[in-house]
Order: sequence, then structure tokens, then C-alpha cells
Amino acid sequence: MIQRRDAVVLVGAAIAMASAITLQAARDRAYPRDQRADEQLLYVSSGAALNRITLAFDAVAADVYWIRAIQHYGGDRLAGPKAAAKYHLLYPLLDITTTLDPYFNIAYRFGAIFLSEAYPGGPGRPDQAVALLRKAIVAMPHKWQYYHDIGFVYYWRLHDYQTAALWFQRAAEKPNAPNWLPPLAASMLARGQDRTAARFLWQQIAKSEEAWLRQSAQRALVQLDALDQIDQLESLVNRFPPPAGERYSWPLLIAKRVLKGIPVDPAGAPYEIDPATGRVQVSQTSPLYPMPEEPRRLQ
Amino acid sequence: MAAAIRIEALTKDYTVGFWRSRSYRALDRLSIDIEPGEVFGFLGPNGAGKTTTLKLLMQLIYPTSGRAEILGRPVGDIAVRQRIGYLPENPSFYDYLTAEELLGYFAQLFGYSSLERKARVAALLDRVGIGSERKLQLRKFSKGMIQRVGIAQALLNDPEVVFLDEPMSGLDPLGRRDVRALILELRDQGRTVFFSSHILADAEALCRRVAVVAGGRLAASGTLTDILAFQVRGWELVMSNVSREVLARVTPSVRRVTEISADRHALELSLDQAPDRILADLTAAGASLVSLNPIRDTLEDFFMKRVAEMGAGARAPLAEEARASH
Amino acid sequence: MRAIRTVAVNVFRESVRDRVPYNLVLFAVMLIASSYLIGQLTAGQDVKIIKDLGLAATSVFGLFIAIFIGIGLVSKEVERRSIYALLSKPVSRAQFIAGKYAGLVLTLCVNVSVMAIALYAILAYMVWATHPASRAVWDAPGLDPALLKAIFLIFIELMLVTAIALFFSTFSSPILSAALTFGFYIAGHFNADLKNFDRVVDSKVAATLARGVYHVLPDLSAFDVKTEVVHGLPVAAAYIATTTAYGLAYVAGLLLIATFIFSRRDFK
Repeated sequence: MIQRRDAVVLVGAAIAMASAITLQAARDRAYPRDQRADEQLLYVSSGAALNRITLAFDAVAADVYWIRAIQHYGGDRLAGPKAAAKYHLLYPLLDITTTLDPYFNIAYRFGAIFLSEAYPGGPGRPDQAVALLRKAIVAMPHKWQYYHDIGFVYYWRLHDYQTAALWFQRAAEKPNAPNWLPPLAASMLARGQDRTAARFLWQQIAKSEEAWLRQSAQRALVQLDALDQIDQLESLVNRFPPPAGERYSWPLLIAKRVLKGIPVDPAGAPYEIDPATGRVQVSQTSPLYPMPEEPRRLQ
Repeated sequence: MAAAIRIEALTKDYTVGFWRSRSYRALDRLSIDIEPGEVFGFLGPNGAGKTTTLKLLMQLIYPTSGRAEILGRPVGDIAVRQRIGYLPENPSFYDYLTAEELLGYFAQLFGYSSLERKARVAALLDRVGIGSERKLQLRKFSKGMIQRVGIAQALLNDPEVVFLDEPMSGLDPLGRRDVRALILELRDQGRTVFFSSHILADAEALCRRVAVVAGGRLAASGTLTDILAFQVRGWELVMSNVSREVLARVTPSVRRVTEISADRHALELSLDQAPDRILADLTAAGASLVSLNPIRDTLEDFFMKRVAEMGAGARAPLAEEARASH
Repeated sequence: MRAIRTVAVNVFRESVRDRVPYNLVLFAVMLIASSYLIGQLTAGQDVKIIKDLGLAATSVFGLFIAIFIGIGLVSKEVERRSIYALLSKPVSRAQFIAGKYAGLVLTLCVNVSVMAIALYAILAYMVWATHPASRAVWDAPGLDPALLKAIFLIFIELMLVTAIALFFSTFSSPILSAALTFGFYIAGHFNADLKNFDRVVDSKVAATLARGVYHVLPDLSAFDVKTEVVHGLPVAAAYIATTTAYGLAYVAGLLLIATFIFSRRDFK
């Protein structure tokens, strides 16, 4: 038996729920929430599955995976070149981190540098770096740094200057982009690889507030210095070839008074000279090893 | 004068069984009026429907049909609750509150000022005999002490009508005596007291009018003397110092003799034997009187008889009630 | 109103006597320990992690309180029959429900406030202990007032979960209530999937049904702005206002239905 008072209560409840639903619909129209849910529905990956499990605690879970990513990288790095360190989990961990928290800026930039780093400094997978950065662009299309980072990977690791210039150009169009991007893109198209451009790029990165980004940049700059030194050494070596039948060596040149002693690289390790060809390279024991590839110039 | 409590054809059915298919009638068309200022006893064996009636009056449960009024207002009226008090059967309150806090909580619901609350709470706790324990949490209270707290909370607002469901339960003889005195005090103050009990002696000591329920039905109502006068079956005379010869002489003329101890004997006299004659006899022979009490049907005996009189159909619910009432 | 306030204060008193405030101690200890440990580990992201942890813990601790006290709010009184004496006093069943709800909300309010203060205290220490150059990298300032937006919406979400728990408490046992409330909590967070069902599924009926369920279930994921706030992304005031209004309307609906159910109950 429903009395009048009970009926009033029920009607009140119905009105309350109806207004709740109306408010919800209005708010959804005004503030559509992330559509990234769609991509995740279609793209089955452990990141998406985790997203379901972690409910509203995505951010904390992202932190957990970020910590794991760093520790994985650090652990493999410290294991030394002798160990079978492969960094094979770095990309999946960074991928999951950024799936759980698509705004995790530092994870993207970390991935950009270290995923593309050649072995044994990293897995040497510039393709993975680019994939991660593309994800960053989907989440935050207004940040110029990601376009710049993609351009950088194409330039420094893949030696694809056309594509690199394109990405630098795109970066230049984003809000707050630095004004050295357009001339950089132009010179890249014109001259391809040259150390001036590379040095310039790394110097920009060396101004970063992230300590490890600065350290990577400084190391790269030192490597560029070493490349310069190698050029000079090789021209010396070619001017004073060994007598017929003899092999190239440092003592020969020291005997000829061309060098004062065995040349060392900026990190303090002695350069090696190939006895057959006379080519100079950085020693495998040097901290600067492995050196970046020296790609061809366009002219 | 308008009735303090008016109950008209109040009925409560419960549906039982797994599919709620069977109906069980806990109260069947109860009708009684209670006059203002009287102490009314609501009697019946366990499971007769007493607590059901009280819960219906407090609107803790809803009637299937019929109605009831308290002080002229329909049951459930919030305003009237300002003027009544209720003690549930086997009350239980909040473990984590002290006796003072519990009464303070209820007093707040009545809307008394902070000062007035303190005064009332202190006075009532004194009245029901709770001393320094009032600062202890209720989880440390014995059953008897909880019962006292229950009585106190029922009187917090100086109620015009007080409802007590088995007020003596859990109390030792001292406590019961105190409660009896309290109920008489309430009557002297002009309040109406409606209390339920399965103990006849309590009703006898306190009430002028009673109602008797059994099996959910009203078995009898009216003044106590009218209902129960014919109940006396005989007398029990307990004497001490009865010599063996005197005993042998008296035995054939009484219904039964029981030896309580070497020195004490209980004699059961039938109704037509005047106990004063035999008492004088024995006293003259050197014995001493210990006690003289009427032997009466228990309330249960009365109910069984009455119920049988009311018809065989009434028996079935009674048995079911005994099971359901646990 | 007086009756509601009286009942509410008693609920708060019961929660204090039930040692609920100890969870605050646990929270504070956890935050302090984590901030110390995390600081040693990650590449300058410690402030983000502390904010994430603090907000997540506020939400989780609050959730446990809302559910475990909420499910017993009504059923405990009925089961131990303390409700008999209470309802004979001048307090209606509707006032009883409202008072019980207000009391638990008060408990949660105090809890969340203390946690917010503790979180800001830890963040203040971190700001003081970190070099300004490192601080510039942070997505959002250490002592970011925007955190209050997230905390506020967490509180409204807890109010909604409490109402759900109380609703179940009016007619079912504590264990069943806990399971149902928790189930609604999880469903409420997955509801974004239901909303976009039409993009993934062909059947129009299924999509409409899913959309209907989306609207009926409590939309709890909308209250989660933790990620945005920690990364310094904007959260519009209008968003907070409509979402809060939604939450309060839903609470009102639940309380009214609970009152309806409770008013018709026989207390055997």
C-alpha cells in the first residue's frame, strides 16, 4: 500500500535521478573526455589491459612502470658491455608507462634519447623511439619538443635528412617553438650531415634542466670533439705514411716527431690506429665508445 | 475522558515461508482502551502477541488492518512522541556510549537545552540506581544495569504515557521491587503506564485493569479481580516445628503434605478448607507458621483453559507462536 | 533539522570510538616514508609521484571508510535493535536516514581535510628542499592549489559512494551491501567504455542499452581529475560545478529511495 507521503518521496527520487542524468549529459557535451579510450579498445596491448585494472589509479601505476623502466635501463647499463644486456624491456615499459599516463612528458623524452642510443648504451632502436614520440604527439600535439625529438632521431641516428628537416619544420610551427628551428631545417636540407648542425642541436639539448639530458648532450659534444680530433689525426697520418711494407703505428709517427706522444681522446683514452689502413678510431675501452656513425655528406 | 491509548481491531499478519506464501497471524483484531492515569497490565504467555502490540503502537511495525491512537493522535505521529516513553523488551543500546552519553543523546532529540539535559540525565540515573557506573561504556554493563538504563531513557521527557515491555526482565528481586515502586510512583504522578508481562504477580501488585492475550487474540479484559478471582485452587500452609504425632493426625484431612526439610513441612489444603482452623490447630500443638499462600492456576494454566474455551482453532497459532517467538 | 544533526554527531562520535582516525596516522606515515624513498630513485619526478600517491591514498582510504562504515550505518542499528528505542523518540525515519548519512559525510570530510593538509605539508617540505632549477622542470608547482580541485572531487565521489552504501544498508546484510557497493564502484569507473560502445559494436540495440546503463550507473570516472591536476593541465570551473551538481543530485535520488524503502520496513 503506497501512501501519499511515500509517493512524494518516490517522485522526488525520480526527479533527482533525472536531473543527475541531464547534468551528466550536459557536462559530457561541454567537456568531452579523452577519446583515447577508443584507441585502446581497438588496440589490445598490456597497457590497455592495465588501464582497466588500475581504474582511477593510472597515474600511480604509470609511476611504478616509470621507476621500473629507469631501473631496467640503469641495471643493464651498469652491467657493462661484457654482459648480455639487451634493454629489451625498455620500450615495453615506457610504452606501458605512457599508456597509463599519456601526459608523462619525461618518459617520452627519455625514450627518445635512450631507445635510439646505439648498443651498448641502449638498445639502438630509433624506430621504437619514433613510435613512442608519435604517441606523445597524439596526447600532446601542441608541444614542439616531440616533433623536434623525432627530427633529431631521424637526423642523428637514421641519417634521413629530408625527413629530419620536415620534422624540424613541423616543430617550428608549434607554439613557443625556438627560433633556431627554421634555419636548422633549411641547412639540413641543403647540406645534410655536418658537425656544425649536430653540435648546435646538442648544445640546445645541453641547456636542458633535466640532468641526464644535459649529461647525454655533453657526452655527445665530447664525441663530436673527438671526431674533429680524429679528422686531424688522420690527415697527419696520411701526410706521413709508413715506409713500404711497414704498418701504421703511433711509434712511427712519434719517431718522425709528428706527434709528441700517443694521442688520447678528450676522455683520456688513447686513440687506436688501424695498422693496415691507418684509420684512427676511439678505443673500445674509452668512455666515449661507441662513437656515433659518421654519415656521408651531401657533397 | 478520552482514552490515553485506544486500540481498534489491530491486526498483524506476517508472511512466512521461503516464497512468502504462508500467512501467519501474530495479532488478531485486538481492541482495548486504556484510561489516562491508570496502570494497565498487558498479560500473556511468551509469544502471545504482547511485544507485537507494543511495536505496533511504536510504529516499529505496520498493522495489516485496524488502527490505534495515543493521546488522541494516530500512532506514528512524531509530535506525540514528545509526550511518551518506551522501554523495549531486552533493550540494547550503543556499546560505545556511556550511560550518561546515551541519555544525553536521547535528551537532545527531545530538544532540551544543554543545562536541562544534564539535570535530567543526572536525576534519572540517580532514580534508577546507577551511580558512578554512569561514566562507563554500556558494553561494560550487566543485563540488569542495561534494564535500568532502559527505564531511565523511557522517562527522560516526563512522559504522560509510558510503555514498558517486560520491565522486570533481567532484574534481581531487589531490582524488581524497585521497579514496582517506580511504577506506583508514576501512577501517583498521574501518568498512564501500559506494561506487558508474563508474570501474574507483577500485575497483581500494580494493576487495577488488565488485558490477557493468548495466541494473538484477546482472551480477557477487565479488572483483575473479576478475571482471576475464581483462580484460587487451594492454600499452601508452610509450618515449622511440627511434631510427628501432630503431622500424622493432620495428614488425612489435607490434600497433600510435603516435607521441605526435617523441620519444615508444606501442607496443601483444598479450597473449601478454611486455613485458619488448621493453623490454629497446629499452632496450639506447638508448630510455627512460616507462610500461608493461595495456590492458583498459573497464568499459563489460565490461558490454556481460556483458549480451549475459545475454540480449538485457536490452538494451532499458539503452538506456532511458541516456535516463532524464540 | 535538530534531529538530523543529533543523529549525525552521534555517527561521527561512533566513528571516532571505532578508531577510524588511526587511518590518518597510517596515511601520514606512508606519505613521509614514500617521499624519502622515492626521492632517491627517479629522475627528478619525485614531486609528481608524491602528488599521485597522496591523491590516490586519499581516495582509497576514503573509499574504505565510506564502504565499511556505510554498509553498517543502518543495518547495525537494526540488527542490534538499538533502533527500537531511537525511533520511539521524536525523530522520523527520514530524519534518521538523513542524519546517518550526514554523520558519515562529516567523518569523511574531516578525514579528507586532514589528509589534504598532510599532503601539502610534505609538498611544502619538498619545495623547500629542492633546488629552484630542478623545480622549474615540474609540470605543476609543488604547492599547487589546483590539487584542491582533485581533492574536492574525490570528496564528492566519496559522498556518492557513501550514499550507495547507505542505500544498500537499508535493506540488505552488511556483506551483501559491501559486495554490491564495491561492484557499483568498479562499474562506475568502467562506464567510459559503455558510453563509447556504439563505436565498437554493430548492434544499435546493444549500443543504446549500453548508453542507457552508462547514464544509470554512477559516473565515477568523471570525478577523477588527478592526472590532469598533477600535470598542471587545466580543469575548468564549470566542469567541476556540473560534475559536483551531478553527484549531489544522484545522492539526493539515492537518499530518497533509501528513505522510501526504510519507511516501509517492519522491524521484527
